Amino acid sequence: MTPDKHAELERAARGLRRDVVTMIHAAKDGHPAPSLSCADIIAALYFSVMRVRPEEPDWPDRDRLVLSKGHACPVLYAALAERGYFPPSELATLRSLHSNLQGHPYSRKTKGVDATTGSLGNGVSVGLGIAMAARATKRDYFAYVITGDGELGEGIVWEAAMAASHMKAGNLIVFVDANHYQSGGKVEDISAVYPLAPKWEAFGWHTQGIDGHDLEQIVEAVEKAKGERERPSVIIAETKKGKGIPFMIGDNSWHKRVITDAEYAAAMEALKDEA
Amino acid sequence: MSRPIDNTRRGFCDGLMNLARERDDIALISTDSSIISGGLKFRELYPERYFEVGIAEQNGVAFASGLASCGLVPYIATYAGFLTMRACEQMRTFCAYPRLKVRFAGANGGMLGGNREGVTHQFFEDIGILQSIPGFTIVAPSDGGQVKKAVEAVADVDGPAYIRIGSGKEPKIHSDDDIFELGKASVLLDNGSDVALFSYGFVLDRALDAAERLKARGIGAVVVEVPTIKPMDVETITATLKRTSCAVTVEDHNIIGGLGSAIMTVSGERFPSRIGRVGLRDTWPESGEPSALLDEYGLSIDDIVGTAEETLRLN
Repeated sequence: MTPDKHAELERAARGLRRDVVTMIHAAKDGHPAPSLSCADIIAALYFSVMRVRPEEPDWPDRDRLVLSKGHACPVLYAALAERGYFPPSELATLRSLHSNLQGHPYSRKTKGVDATTGSLGNGVSVGLGIAMAARATKRDYFAYVITGDGELGEGIVWEAAMAASHMKAGNLIVFVDANHYQSGGKVEDISAVYPLAPKWEAFGWHTQGIDGHDLEQIVEAVEKAKGERERPSVIIAETKKGKGIPFMIGDNSWHKRVITDAEYAAAMEALKDEA
Repeated sequence: MSRPIDNTRRGFCDGLMNLARERDDIALISTDSSIISGGLKFRELYPERYFEVGIAEQNGVAFASGLASCGLVPYIATYAGFLTMRACEQMRTFCAYPRLKVRFAGANGGMLGGNREGVTHQFFEDIGILQSIPGFTIVAPSDGGQVKKAVEAVADVDGPAYIRIGSGKEPKIHSDDDIFELGKASVLLDNGSDVALFSYGFVLDRALDAAERLKARGIGAVVVEVPTIKPMDVETITATLKRTSCAVTVEDHNIIGGLGSAIMTVSGERFPSRIGRVGLRDTWPESGEPSALLDEYGLSIDDIVGTAEETLRLN
């Protein structure tokens, strides 16, 4: 990746983070920290990796994203707005009556949202269906999924993991946003979801581990995953919940919390572009 | 009256194969359920549109929603409860909410469908569960020929559709020329205007036989088949109630949440009438030979006749 491209992606990710806190502050509701942990993955996907046409959201050959951790949708909405799927002014309507931006992603209302999500654990399965539709319709797109680590407690994830490997779904690429927290606390304190890599490997997946805030590593991992044509790929992205806003990191009350005016000002200060 | 035996599972397979021959957007998902769906034939002819996900219904349904979001029309057939209970949320949130064209066939519908297997394989709540989910088309045909027509009829409806099938041994009710119209109730037998018998599915033969027995007792019954439970044919039902102002519903389903509840709702809103319900009386059945099982659990012809007479006596 060229230094210029890297700087551009970092700027884009920072912009998405600003949009996230601005939206949730305005809505007085939403999930700030889980949106921020996957902001770099979303930035890499929508500003570098994915083959999409914002002017033609239903283009049949586009790559698709399933945001399995649907509560992180503010960052997805921000990326879609920045890419031109809808006017950025709509972001201020998040979670409001008659808004196109539902509290969790809804494909029927929001241009660019490829799958309805929000009930945890279902994304890998939906993504696998999308990936296999490419095979049935002789198209060459990729299906991307972003799942949280806590939601890997849902059994359907592993049903889908088995099926994907059995179907040799080489066009399915799953990110685990491994921020180590879920709604009720630390993932490790709640269940034995970790260690992750041996589980995915045992299910027959091409498995990589990366720093989920390093844009270069994200893009490179996707390139490697795309080279795997005979098995699905998982990219376990180590992340920090609340990344970009120091006072949110390590404080799981930011899983879902109203942002006060003072906190908003501090957050925007932390997310300023360098001169 | 004895009737030839038909096969709703074969009806599903025949309808699906007809569709798949004509259209390349038709897909089939198996949850190790190819014995129910006749899927091996489909796999042989259309391997690129056949998906085996293993014994994993939640994954099968969410997977189907992914296929449907890309323009395919997937059918998924397995036991009714493994769909409507185990994968209920996937049917609701990932198929119905985004209005995707996923088609479900629920086998062993009712206690008759699962007869010897016992309660774990008898599903008499499926229609009640799905009726409460917005936007689901629900069809409960009465024999194999009608299933075949229903499979074809739902191919293009907006949103998801559910077709109830049985064990593969159901009385044949319809001739091959009978028309099946999605969303329409129809009169199968008209012996008079004293009482209407609303029914569907694999106990329709009992409703027909009960009407003849009522006739011998001087009571004129009209038998109305309601194969589409949702959207309900409110017009035909209201018109029938206006004619009889007394009705009995006959179904192999819990009396709560099935056709009986639906007809009572229509009646309550459109034309208050005396209504009796014949069905499983909110209890657990058991294993048993099909006919004896229905007789034991409230669905004998005598039960229908008796309920009709009791309901007629209400004021």
